[in-house]
Amino acid sequence: MPLLEVRNLHKHYPGVAALKGVDFSGDAGEVHAIVGANGAGKSTLMNLISGATAPTGGDILLDGAVVKLNSPQAAQAAGIATVYQEFSLVPQLSVARNIFLGREPRGVLGLVDEAKLNADATQLLSRFHIALDPRTEVADLSVAEQQMVEIVRALSFKARILILDEPTAVLSLSEQDNLFAIMRQLRSEGMLILYVSHRLEEILAIADRVTVVRDGSKVGTRAIAELTMDGLVNMMIGESQRAAPMRSTVPQGAPRYDIAYTTADGTQQIAVQQGEILGLAGLVGAGRTTFARALAGMGGKHAATRITLDGKALRNGSPEAAMRDGVVYLTEDRKRDGIFAGIDIIGNATAAALPGLGRLGLRDRRKERERSGTILKRLRLVAASLDMPIGKLSGGNQQKVVLGRALMMAPKLLICDEPTRGVDVGAKSEIHDLLRELAAQGAAIIVISSEIDELLGLAHRIVVMNDRRFVAEMPVEDASEAAILTAAAGGTMTNKELT
Amino acid sequence: MTAAALPRKGLSLPGASRYAIFFVLVAVYLAGLAVSPAFAEPNYIFNILRQIAPVGIAAIGVTLVMILGGVDLSVGAVISLTAVLAATLMGGDPANIAPAILVACATGLGIGLLNGIIVAFSRVSPFILTLGMGVAVIGLTQMFTGGTAKGIVAPGFREFFNFRIGGLMPVLALALLLLACVGLFIEKATTFGRQLFLVGTNRATAILSGLPVRGVTIAAYALSGLFGALAGIALLARSGVSSTVAGQGLEFQVLAAVVLGGTTFVGGRGGIAGTVAGTLVLVIAFNLVNIGGLPYQMQLVVMGSIIILASALYGRISERVG
Repeated sequence: MPLLEVRNLHKHYPGVAALKGVDFSGDAGEVHAIVGANGAGKSTLMNLISGATAPTGGDILLDGAVVKLNSPQAAQAAGIATVYQEFSLVPQLSVARNIFLGREPRGVLGLVDEAKLNADATQLLSRFHIALDPRTEVADLSVAEQQMVEIVRALSFKARILILDEPTAVLSLSEQDNLFAIMRQLRSEGMLILYVSHRLEEILAIADRVTVVRDGSKVGTRAIAELTMDGLVNMMIGESQRAAPMRSTVPQGAPRYDIAYTTADGTQQIAVQQGEILGLAGLVGAGRTTFARALAGMGGKHAATRITLDGKALRNGSPEAAMRDGVVYLTEDRKRDGIFAGIDIIGNATAAALPGLGRLGLRDRRKERERSGTILKRLRLVAASLDMPIGKLSGGNQQKVVLGRALMMAPKLLICDEPTRGVDVGAKSEIHDLLRELAAQGAAIIVISSEIDELLGLAHRIVVMNDRRFVAEMPVEDASEAAILTAAAGGTMTNKELT
Repeated sequence: MTAAALPRKGLSLPGASRYAIFFVLVAVYLAGLAVSPAFAEPNYIFNILRQIAPVGIAAIGVTLVMILGGVDLSVGAVISLTAVLAATLMGGDPANIAPAILVACATGLGIGLLNGIIVAFSRVSPFILTLGMGVAVIGLTQMFTGGTAKGIVAPGFREFFNFRIGGLMPVLALALLLLACVGLFIEKATTFGRQLFLVGTNRATAILSGLPVRGVTIAAYALSGLFGALAGIALLARSGVSSTVAGQGLEFQVLAAVVLGGTTFVGGRGGIAGTVAGTLVLVIAFNLVNIGGLPYQMQLVVMGSIIILASALYGRISERVG
């Protein structure tokens, strides 16, 4: 009898079926990988098993008995522990306090028994050969160490099933080996580990079996021993044919931006034509954002770009200078360096264009309102008033305002880093339309996205990055999800390789 | 539903916090009226305007820096230096008044520029930098004067600034009001003013959006230095005595007034109108303590308490607004 079994699991959101009847089972003493493209339904599946959301249909069985996992607490009590990508530790508390948060051993007068707390924590940590002082504040730990604490905390609930969601996204290679060692130990102790990852190489290395989901349905479960990377990729993307989206053609002989990208590893060349949308694919950590920021003079000490337009060098030492030459970068992290949260929509939209809107250093408020109104209307912004603080808007509308700010600068080379992250479906296609329109009007656009579908639908040409290098380049007609995923995961490429 | 078509939103909770200081001002003034009918006399109002001129003028510049997310603790030292410098350059000769004022202003501007350049191009905390700058400027002042009061105010200088227009409003009070208008104009009507708020709200976004963050920073500190110098001249005009420590400790009154007025250390919020109101609240509260017969020491306790209360209150309000 399998330890965990799910039968015909459904999850419907209003208007969307995220999961359309999935079955699979996992045994004690197994690392079971769950893979699928973005939006395939693997997160939904994990959320149902971890009790974060309730299914709209189907059953979850533990040891052959149906269980109701209506809350994370219920799942925890049933022996299912989850470690998410984003940690839930309290940075100001010690390792031991975090492990036993809310369950601290009490001594006299109901005070926390620090000695017992630390002793218990030490025991747990040493079981996994983790050399951490339980009294260390979590804020002083590295990300990998924090992840260890998170795992130990999850295990302290006497878990029999451990869900790891993209655990290696934040780890270096040696830290990853460490994690795998712990996973193997847990497996040998009879734990079932559900392992969600984009990194196919890792899955081939650590998992025993893999279940592939696509479009909310299960494609199949296979033993790793009988799978190859190609076979796995084929399962993920299937044979489905995409309808070619409307795409303008890149004019022959249009002026071209030649980019020399220099890092500690050396210099690489890449080019993008006016009128072209170049898609930049790669896994998290492949170095796409560093490259993109370097285009706007924000690459830091170790990444710099030299951009020439038809032989003439642009000055892109800072975003300010780059903008003067028409190079504009849109951040992937709106909250950090995309929006001015407390400032109204007009102020956010006009921030970069202010001097041009006024005269002699004086503001022209009417013009500010008119110009932002016009541009944001074109972007179909939904807001009660242009005087609202941008922080009160939805992610999609915030992104439109940030895009509006870039548009006011009439960008000639626009770099969009995850332009539709955290954006609802409607706003997403509107943003796509706008990017196509800009390209048709002659702008050169570089789009970074972790959603391969987005790149295939938007770009004329796709370049794949892996480990800070451009490893593959393909016109979109020849590109496929398989080819992109393989190149991004560091596999060999059939298409033309870059040097 | 498009953005441009809809009407503007009315007064909301953030609006309430923005105007809180004006309600406080009315409240303390009414408290004053209740205690003493003297508070109703126009003379009293113009007197307090004259009295707060140095602190108020300096606070205008510091407000600009604090909107940016910085702070200027060197302003007290700048007041001392420029006051004694102006007195020395006048040397008792009315012909020297204009050049003395110009040199004092240039000196303040220079110190502010230096502050701004260092803040803009290094990672030093503005708090520590301007504190250090203040100490250095105090040292320079002492070297320049030999440690004693120096210089003689030219005849006509004090008389001009303390002349009461229409028998009521001292020129010094008018100067404060005019400079507040200049500050308000910078804050509201110039591109630079808007950029101050943008940089103060999110510096990283400002840099990435191509705003001239360094230029804005340098200009803000330079203006703070200039307003510090004008405050020094105002102080000289009010007291007529050029002590070497005239401005000592004034930076705390300045900061108190700015914070009370709703401009926070975090940046991106507040404004000069609030600062002027904050300065008035402080001085009226002092006067009330005076009338109550409390000693000077007690005034300090009151000032400290007001600052603590005000910051706690603003903290609460902004938390609620999110």
